[in-house]
Amino acid sequence: MSRVDINGVWKIYEGDVEAVQDLNFFIESGEFLAVLGPSGCGKSTTLRMIAGLEDITKGEIRFDGKVVNDLSPSERNLALAFESYALYARLTVHENIAFPLRAKGMSKAEADKKVQWIAKILNVTDILKKKPGSLSGGHQQRVNLCRALVRQPNITLLDEPISHMDVRVRANMRARIRRLHDELKLTTIYVTHDQEEAVALADRVAVMNHAKLQQIGTVDEIWNHPANKFVATFVGEPEMNFMQGRIEGREEVSISTKDGKSTFRLDKEVDAKSVGSEITVGVRPQQLQISRSRGEKEALPGVVDLTQFQGEAVIVTVLLDDSEKTEVKAVIETDWMPQIGEKVWLEMTPENIHLFDGEIPILR
Amino acid sequence: MAGVRLESVTKKYGQKLAIDNLSFEYREGEFFSIIGPAGAGKSTILKMIAGIEPVTSGKIYFDDYEVNALSARERNVAMAFETYNLYSHMSVYENISFPLRAPERHEKLSRDEERRRVEEVADFLGIRRLLDRKPVQLSGGEKQRVSLARAMVRQCECFLLDEPIAHLDARLKFSTQTALKRLSVKLGTAIIYVTHDYREALGLSDRIAVLRKGRFEQIGTPQEIYNQPATDFVANFIGDPPFNLIDGTLVNKNGVTLFQSGNDFTIPLQEKAIEPAQRIADGDQNGEIRLGIRPSRVKVGKERISDHSFQLPIYAIVRRPEGTVITFELENSFFRASVKGVERYGMSEKVWLDFDQEYTFFFKKTIKISK
Repeated sequence: MSRVDINGVWKIYEGDVEAVQDLNFFIESGEFLAVLGPSGCGKSTTLRMIAGLEDITKGEIRFDGKVVNDLSPSERNLALAFESYALYARLTVHENIAFPLRAKGMSKAEADKKVQWIAKILNVTDILKKKPGSLSGGHQQRVNLCRALVRQPNITLLDEPISHMDVRVRANMRARIRRLHDELKLTTIYVTHDQEEAVALADRVAVMNHAKLQQIGTVDEIWNHPANKFVATFVGEPEMNFMQGRIEGREEVSISTKDGKSTFRLDKEVDAKSVGSEITVGVRPQQLQISRSRGEKEALPGVVDLTQFQGEAVIVTVLLDDSEKTEVKAVIETDWMPQIGEKVWLEMTPENIHLFDGEIPILR
Repeated sequence: MAGVRLESVTKKYGQKLAIDNLSFEYREGEFFSIIGPAGAGKSTILKMIAGIEPVTSGKIYFDDYEVNALSARERNVAMAFETYNLYSHMSVYENISFPLRAPERHEKLSRDEERRRVEEVADFLGIRRLLDRKPVQLSGGEKQRVSLARAMVRQCECFLLDEPIAHLDARLKFSTQTALKRLSVKLGTAIIYVTHDYREALGLSDRIAVLRKGRFEQIGTPQEIYNQPATDFVANFIGDPPFNLIDGTLVNKNGVTLFQSGNDFTIPLQEKAIEPAQRIADGDQNGEIRLGIRPSRVKVGKERISDHSFQLPIYAIVRRPEGTVITFELENSFFRASVKGVERYGMSEKVWLDFDQEYTFFFKKTIKISK
C-alpha cells in the first residue's frame, strides 16, 4: 500500500509538445483511481511517468511522501499490466508468473508458493502447466495480472487491461479486478478511455483532456456535478442533452418552444447578474421523464423521432417543438414504447438540471 | 420489392458446411438483422442474396421470382461492407454519387437532382462537411460513413449492410445508428443488416435472426429475443451484464421439484416449468440442466425476500452511473444481480437473493460457460 502524490507534473516532448500540463492530484493508499480520457489526452503518459518508464519534465511524483522522480521502474515496486504486455511464449504459465520473483533472486520453493497463492485468487491453477499460445484471451489476461501482482507491489498500474474482451469475460474480469483490489488492499491506478469501465471499477475518477486534468472526484460527483461541459459530455451514454435556455430568475430557467415558454425551477441560486442571460441547459437522458399528456409539472413539448430498444431500456429521440427542432434523447423503462410521430412531454426535476455558460457550469 | 425469401439454402466451401439448410422470409419494409459470432455465416448469407456467392443448393426468391441464375448486377441490390473500398482519386462527393452515374442506370439524373440526393444522404450520416475532401483525409470512422452513404444513395430493391459501422468508436457508432434508423424509416426500403453487436441489432431492427454455425437459433422481435431467449446460446449472446447461466440438477424433496446448483443453493420450480425442465434434464447424460435469468430479474436484499430466497456472500460490487452490479461466485460460474440505486453492501457480506420466477428459464446446455 502506498499513497501517491502528483505535484505540478509536466511532460514536454521535443518540439514543445506538451503531453501533460501541470498535473496535480493524489491517490490515497488503498484507493482505486481511474484515469479516464479520450486517446491522446495524456493519460498513458501520466501512467508511464508514475511507473518510471518516462522522465518527468517538471514537477515531482511522491510515493508515501518520498520523491521517486529519479528511481527506476524496478526500484519503485510497482505492478504493471498493460494491454500489450506480452507473456513469454516459450515459458509455461507457471514460469511466466514466477519470472519476476526469480529475477529478484527468490528461491524456487518460495516462488512456487507465491505462484500457487496468486493463481488460486485469479482461478488459473488448472492451466499453470500450459504455454500462453494455447490460452484464450481471457486466460492470458488473467495470467498477465497474476504476473503483475505476484510480487505484492505497493501500487498496481493497469492500462486498458480488459477493453477487448467479450461481454461475459469482461464482466468476470471486472469483478475479479475489484475483488483483488479489495481483498489484497491494493492501491490501483487504472487507465482507460472507456467511461463505463471507469465508472464500474473506480472509487474516484480523474478525467483528462488535452493534456490537463479536467476533474477528479467520485463517480457520483462526476455524474451529478461535472466540472465543465467536456466532462459532462464524456461521461454518460447516451451523452448529456443540451438545449438553449434563458435564466429568468435566480432560481428559474426557461426553454422556449412554439407553445410558449416552459419555466423550470433550479435547486440552487445563480448569480443575480446572470439573470436575463442566455444559457445552455444540460440534462442527462436518464434523468428526463417522458409522458403522453401534460401533467401538473412543467414540461417541454416535442415529437418522438425515433425509438431504440436496448433491452432494459428504450432510448427515445425527441425533436423539441422549437425553431431549431433540438434533438433530445431520453432513456426510459421498457413498460411502454412511444410511437414515432407521437406528441410527448418531457419533464425534469430541479436537481438534474445543469446550466453552462459556454464550457463553464454555473450551478456547482 | 416486397420480400426476399430463402428456401432450404445450403452453402458448402469444399467439405465445410457454412450455411445449413436455411429458410427465412423477409417481410416488406422490414429492418431485418442477422446477428451471431464471427464465423457463424452471416456474411455468406448476404453474399448469396447479393449474387456474389452461388448457393450450393436451395433457392433464393425476390418476391416470387427465383433469382438463383441472376448475376449480382441484375439483382439490383446495394451492399456496404465493413471495409470501405473508396476510390482514392475521387472526392467524397464523387465517391457517393458514383452509383448514380453508373452506366447501367436507365435514367440519368440532372446535376441538381444528383447533388440533392448526395447531400440528403450525407446529411443523414453527418458527413456533409466532408464532401469536397479526398478519402485519404478522412478518419476510419468517416470513411465508413462515406461507404455507407455510397451504398444508400441509390434507390434500389434492397440494402444489404455487412457490419457497416463496426469500426466506429462507441459514440460515433451510436449517432450513426440513429442516422441509419432514421434513414430506414424514411426510405422504407428492405434492409438486411449483419452485425455481431447485439446493441445495434436491438436498437435498429424490426426482427432479428440469431445465427449459429449456419443455422438460425431464433428469429423474433428485439423484445422476444431479449425477454424470451429460445436457447442458452441466444441468452448468452445478448445483454450486458450478461445473462446468468447456472448449471445444476433437478431434485425432488417432499414432493417438491427443486433446482439445485451444486452446494450453492436450491430453489423450487414453478408448476408449469417442471415438466419441460424434467425433459431437458432427462435428455442430458449427467441429468444436468441450465438455469437462466437476466441480472435485472435477480433481487437482492438484507432481509429475506420470499419463501424461495437463499443466501450467498457477495464476491464483488461494481458500479453503473445509476445502479450497481453485484457479482456472486458459484462453484463453476459467476452470476450477477443488476440493481437500481447504490446500495450499501460490502464485499463478502451475506445477502438474500430471489429469482423472479416468471423470468427464470431452463435450458439445455449447448454452450460452454467459463468462469
